Amino acid sequence: MKKAGVIFFVIALLATLHGLIARSDQQQADVQSETTHQVSEAVGTFFHYTGFANFTAGHGIMIAVGLLFIFLAIKYEYEPLLLVPIGTGIIIGNIPFQAGAGLQIGIYEPGSVLNYLYYGVVKGIYPPLIFLGIGAMTDFSSLISNPRLMLLGAAAQLGIFTTFLGALILGFHPAEAGAIGIIGGADGPTAIFLASRLANGVREIGQTVGGDPVYARNLIGPIAIAAYSYMALVPVIQPPIMRLLTTRRERLMRMKPPRAVSRTEKMLFPIVGLILTTFISPSALPLLGMLFFGNLLKESGVTKRLAETSRTALIDIVTIILGLTVGASTQADVFLTPQSVMIFALGAFAFGVSTAGGVLFAKVMNLFLKPEDRINPLIGAAGVSAVPDSARVAQLEGLREDPSNHLLMHAMAPNVAGVIGSAVVAGLLLSFLG
Amino acid sequence: MEQLSYGILISIVGYSVTLLTLALLYYAFRYLPKLLHLQIRRRLQKLGHHVAHNEDLSVKGDEAAAIAMALHLYFNELHDEESTRITIRKIPKTYSPWSSKIFGMRHPIRR
Repeated sequence: MKKAGVIFFVIALLATLHGLIARSDQQQADVQSETTHQVSEAVGTFFHYTGFANFTAGHGIMIAVGLLFIFLAIKYEYEPLLLVPIGTGIIIGNIPFQAGAGLQIGIYEPGSVLNYLYYGVVKGIYPPLIFLGIGAMTDFSSLISNPRLMLLGAAAQLGIFTTFLGALILGFHPAEAGAIGIIGGADGPTAIFLASRLANGVREIGQTVGGDPVYARNLIGPIAIAAYSYMALVPVIQPPIMRLLTTRRERLMRMKPPRAVSRTEKMLFPIVGLILTTFISPSALPLLGMLFFGNLLKESGVTKRLAETSRTALIDIVTIILGLTVGASTQADVFLTPQSVMIFALGAFAFGVSTAGGVLFAKVMNLFLKPEDRINPLIGAAGVSAVPDSARVAQLEGLREDPSNHLLMHAMAPNVAGVIGSAVVAGLLLSFLG
Repeated sequence: MEQLSYGILISIVGYSVTLLTLALLYYAFRYLPKLLHLQIRRRLQKLGHHVAHNEDLSVKGDEAAAIAMALHLYFNELHDEESTRITIRKIPKTYSPWSSKIFGMRHPIRR
């Protein structure tokens, strides 16, 4: 009996234990499945925030463009100071993320760091600061010694107006066409300045039939990228046009050495230049004012520290921020549009026409000049304001024909005149279309 | 079409004004040296230099280089004027330590 009781007790105990174990296994399985569910949900949420989940072909294309820019800058040294920040900016701007999550990281999201930095582009703050630095580092002596070369700086702005007309024919609004046309000036800061005023995405350019406002498209990114890309490609674009429009005899032409320029002339140049140009084109005041101010800092000889800061630290800081934010503004959804393709095509056309305009105008000028004063038409191409690349191209083309014919000093004159010319045109377009 | 004709008008006016602006700058800097040279010309005339009547008073690049080189050579070779007389004077001090044994390296080691 006792034995039967013990057996019963053990069986009951085992049954109880089995029940308990079975129940805890069930609970454990439940807990486990819940945890797994939570983990997978968390991983899923995390994955949704990653670049992989938000990646589109557009992002891939733009990242490839950014990498190409960096490659061109490092391998071929095409404008590395611009292409490295822009290329990196393109990659930064095209890292995919969940747009609607309110993370405040995208350049177009109010409150993000990039958005704050981009403010300087949208409001046209950076270009005048760049012009200050350019003024402080530019020596206008070659232009002062041979002032007739200033006309080449005006002639080479032909591309701006022909491209403006081309953009109108392609259906762009006049304000947008003006912003696109300025690419022909071959001046990145001027292009950004004008685009930020005329085609910034918030400027009202008309009304629909229903009375709703129509805004200009935001073309700052494509215009800036086109301008800087073609500036970097000046050594590729210009030489064929220069050779096509000149004879060997013209390319061999030697120019008389420039005269020495006195300090008084150098000091008077920014003052006279500022007053004359801004009275005619006051809209270009932010650009021309800063350009001539920077030059006065340099030439006055009494503000060496200010001139030094303007041409080194200040311009470097602004170039870094400008390049990076312009690059980042090329977010695939904003940048990869048919308009961007058209802008790139028009930009190439503008560069070609500007180069041709400068060369042909130099040839026309030679018809009226004394033989000893004649101009080598190659320096006409330097009238586009890609400083100093287009002057360097004129020098190299001259050296190709005659290794002892140095044109660099002469080419610098239309080159710096081109900077003034393109800023004047920007001011005029702003007056007409702003 | 209306926009295009407006664009053509802007282009013609804009291009002309740009040319005009830089042409004005050209004329300003074509005649500025003449204005600046007026004073120099007057001073040269007073001193009786015939160059005062030269049309162009500016210094050419090669002339400036030659003057700069001459100045460079002159200032680099500049030194005090000397009497060009060589004097050998006997110095009263006879002792000189240049070969002194106490400064030699071959002293015996002290133990």
